[in-house]
Amino acid sequence: MAQSRGPAQSRDEMNEPEQDGKAPDTKLYEELGELARFIDTTMKTLSEFSAPVNSSTEQLPQALTHLTNLKTLTEQGTHEVMLQVEAIQDNHTQISTMLKELTQALQQAQVSPALIQQFQKVGLKLGQDDKRLLDIMTALSFQDLVAQSVNKLVTILDEVEHKLLQLVVVFGPYQKQATKKDQGKASAMLKQLEATKNTSMNQDLADEILKQFGFN
Amino acid sequence: MPADPNMKILVVDDMSTMRRIVKNILKQLGFNNLEEAENGQDALTKLHADSYGFVVSDWNMPVMMGIDLLRAIRADEKLKKIPVLMVTAEAQKENLMEAVKAGVSNYVVKPFTAETMQEKINKIFK
Repeated sequence: MAQSRGPAQSRDEMNEPEQDGKAPDTKLYEELGELARFIDTTMKTLSEFSAPVNSSTEQLPQALTHLTNLKTLTEQGTHEVMLQVEAIQDNHTQISTMLKELTQALQQAQVSPALIQQFQKVGLKLGQDDKRLLDIMTALSFQDLVAQSVNKLVTILDEVEHKLLQLVVVFGPYQKQATKKDQGKASAMLKQLEATKNTSMNQDLADEILKQFGFN
Repeated sequence: MPADPNMKILVVDDMSTMRRIVKNILKQLGFNNLEEAENGQDALTKLHADSYGFVVSDWNMPVMMGIDLLRAIRADEKLKKIPVLMVTAEAQKENLMEAVKAGVSNYVVKPFTAETMQEKINKIFK
């Protein structure tokens, strides 16, 4: 903060002192000084957070990959279960047809009605299992809901990555070692970040930003 | 008039698992002529290329959303009478008024059971 108090002092002499003995201009000057010191301290404190922010930003692409894998794995698992369910359903259809034919043949051969009833009971049991198989099939629609939630999370994480990278770029030049060249790059990167706001984060841009500020 | 088990049904969903589930349910309900499309645009192309008796469509899809497919079907002289059953996720329930205004025949909310699907189809083709 500038230390020159000349203009304020000269105006002090022209103003009436207030109750606390200080002219309004002097009071304003002191308050502005306080504010400047407060902002400076805050900026320093915030810049100390830039390391964890960078660390989080670096890990975000991994989180996105994990989420995408989660979606793919649940999809693969669901398809595998469906494949097995469909195979059992096909078998059941064939067994039901065979049972029907067998029952008819037994009726024509006039075998014991008790035996025919046993066959019919097997058919009923198969029907009950078919209902269960259909319930398994419909329960697998959870995968679609998981995929939709994962997609929403990916969008949110993308947004967070944008914000974190903006913080990295803003606080990067505030570091002591930052040069004017770095500050110029930061400005250009902020513009690029703004341009990709409504689209998926370009990985090259994210990597470049982290690289420029020493986080590879 | 009950639903014709031989009518051609188009199942529209961007998720392959959901297409498979819906097709399986429809098959178990006695429908055998089942086709699928990945999004609204794909569905429109197929609807124009062949004769379909029923469309089961997801709401949230890339390229063309279910609601836009519905509007396109209702605006098309050749397709406008095809019944459309909309399938939505719980979170998209509030969009249903939009679908009703656009002329949806009925809807089911995911996750749904085979009984619900049967009930909705019965209501559409009663």
